[in-house]
Amino acid sequence: MSPAAVWDVLGGGGDTTERHILLQLRLPRLLVALGAGACLGVAGLVLQSALRNPLAGPEVTGVTPGAVLGAVTATGLGLAGWESPLAVVVAACAGGCAGAALLWLLAGRGRSDPAQTAVHGVLVSAVLGGLTAMVLLVAPGELGSVVQWLVGTTEGRVWQHWHLLWPWALAWGVVAWLLSGPLTLLRCGDDIALAAGLSARRARTLALLCAVALTAGAVAAVGALGFVGLLVPHVALAVFGADLRLTLPGAALVGAAVVCGADAAAQLSSRLLAAALDSGRLTLPVGALTACLGAALLLVVVRRAPSRTF
Amino acid sequence: MVASSACALSLGTPYVPLHRLPGALVEGDTTLAGIVVSELRVPRLILALVAGACLGAAGLVLQEALRNPLAVPEMLGVSSGAALGVAAPLVLAVSLPAAVQPLPAIGGAALGGGLTLLAAGLGRSPSAVLLTGAAVAAALQAALLVLMVMADQLDLQLIYRYLLGSLSARTWDDVTGLWPWLLVAVPALVLCAPVLSVLRLGDEDAEALGVRAQRARLAALAIAVVLIAPVTAVCGPVAWVGFLAPHLARWFNPGADAVRWLPWSAAWGAVVVAVADVPARLALAPVETPVGAWTALLGVPAGVALLRSGNRRPAASHRTAGTAAASRGEATASAGTAAASRGEATASAGTAAASRGEATASEEVR
Repeated sequence: MSPAAVWDVLGGGGDTTERHILLQLRLPRLLVALGAGACLGVAGLVLQSALRNPLAGPEVTGVTPGAVLGAVTATGLGLAGWESPLAVVVAACAGGCAGAALLWLLAGRGRSDPAQTAVHGVLVSAVLGGLTAMVLLVAPGELGSVVQWLVGTTEGRVWQHWHLLWPWALAWGVVAWLLSGPLTLLRCGDDIALAAGLSARRARTLALLCAVALTAGAVAAVGALGFVGLLVPHVALAVFGADLRLTLPGAALVGAAVVCGADAAAQLSSRLLAAALDSGRLTLPVGALTACLGAALLLVVVRRAPSRTF
Repeated sequence: MVASSACALSLGTPYVPLHRLPGALVEGDTTLAGIVVSELRVPRLILALVAGACLGAAGLVLQEALRNPLAVPEMLGVSSGAALGVAAPLVLAVSLPAAVQPLPAIGGAALGGGLTLLAAGLGRSPSAVLLTGAAVAAALQAALLVLMVMADQLDLQLIYRYLLGSLSARTWDDVTGLWPWLLVAVPALVLCAPVLSVLRLGDEDAEALGVRAQRARLAALAIAVVLIAPVTAVCGPVAWVGFLAPHLARWFNPGADAVRWLPWSAAWGAVVVAVADVPARLALAPVETPVGAWTALLGVPAGVALLRSGNRRPAASHRTAGTAAASRGEATASAGTAAASRGEATASAGTAAASRGEATASEEVR
């Protein structure tokens, strides 16, 4: 569709087919991608600041696998299908919160130790992954439709998803922004935060809660998009500097742009691949693209970081 | 081990009572029970034991070489890499002769482990290696999922079951395919075990004793890859055995050193897989569940519990039980995370400062 035609439709013209494709399919997909990217970016930055660990991301807090488990279980039990996005979203949110709660229980007394929290998060993720696998094997018929939850995709997102996503994202985004002051202190270390009169543990708990909520919302909308929450904060910090009052909205912007760009790239490459392989049903999920790019970027980030920062 | 083997051989359909097992084994192909036991259950059991032993030994090698109680094949991207190497030819319909089959797995495993170590560096804190490894593993998993999306529905079932690690429908052919690799790996293991004990002392002390620490680590990783990849090629990445078995071995004789832990770790690994295979066969009969799902569900919590109880033990008990050097090694290993967080505290403002530096640098560029 040419830009002129798009302008036409947005202005209220265009023919019915074009209108339908643009307004009912492409626009919600774009908005959901933007919203989920923003959520993941902010959640990642909040986590990395609170845990003082540049390698912490939503993937290693048990939230993402928990949300996937919730969605998969609901689909497997027949409680939720593609005709009822609301049920899937609710299930994913519940799963994400359950994953975070599990981490909470496991971390126990070491809750205030960032490195321990990260380690336990990885272990929790592993257990939840095993559970998801079990569910998938008990209900094998669902495997094909659920794989996209495991990778993360924006296929077939409609207005309903967007209506569910934006209030949640906005509310928690505001909370995150209000937390930006305490988070900046937490980044400087617990001693400095305590000296400035901040209860480090309480602030960290609140920050973690906020990150969990944002991640759960994003995963419920698009599935487990890898690496966005891990790497967007690094980009945002490099662009906007270390003042979180500015960088948190910045991370939202960068995240939205990244996911949206990845979505466009994935669609383009799907078309090219389909043309090359003569198979009409091959679609490359967004998550695959972000994961591959993310792994490459991660190597760069880790190599550059001074060796004792995490 | 004997009990779990007996269970594995006699339970299921048809049920073969214990006293009839020797008879069934001798009779071979004459009775139904004989056929089931000798053609299906015995190879499966042997495969479970061998696979478990390999994974357990590999887990111990990795943990000792990186002096990191959390360095396990799953977390270093080794297992995911091997699985990717196996799944790719399956989906892309490239047929390979049986002898070459472990080669893509070995290539994938080396790629995964190499990527992680390249990213994390060899001397980083345990949590850094763990997080980097988790990220690398996630990337490899994503590549796998893309392959799964490309596969059609029937393949999908097969691949998924395999990816979780499953011993179903494995026969004598699969067992015989493993021997040549084991012949390579076992002597190497025996040779590298003493070096591992030296590595525990820390890099400076090891260098002083004439061990090239970095090279020894790479060699250990290579051995672990050779141990893990063939097993993965046959029955998929059975998760977390390499985490649980070494910790069990340590927990039962805390005063020993790496040389003595190695056989124990292999034995525990074999027991864990053999035991986990029983519920995998019987829990949801007639549907088989993959053994890897069970080891993941049970292995992680158990391993964490062992880790914690090991950390809480006072070092005094180690000194009475074993050498002071071993307890020093323990202490360094367990204090790794603590040291890491201390290091963070000193370099806490590092990231903030670094990012500020980046900001100014980028302005200069502009």
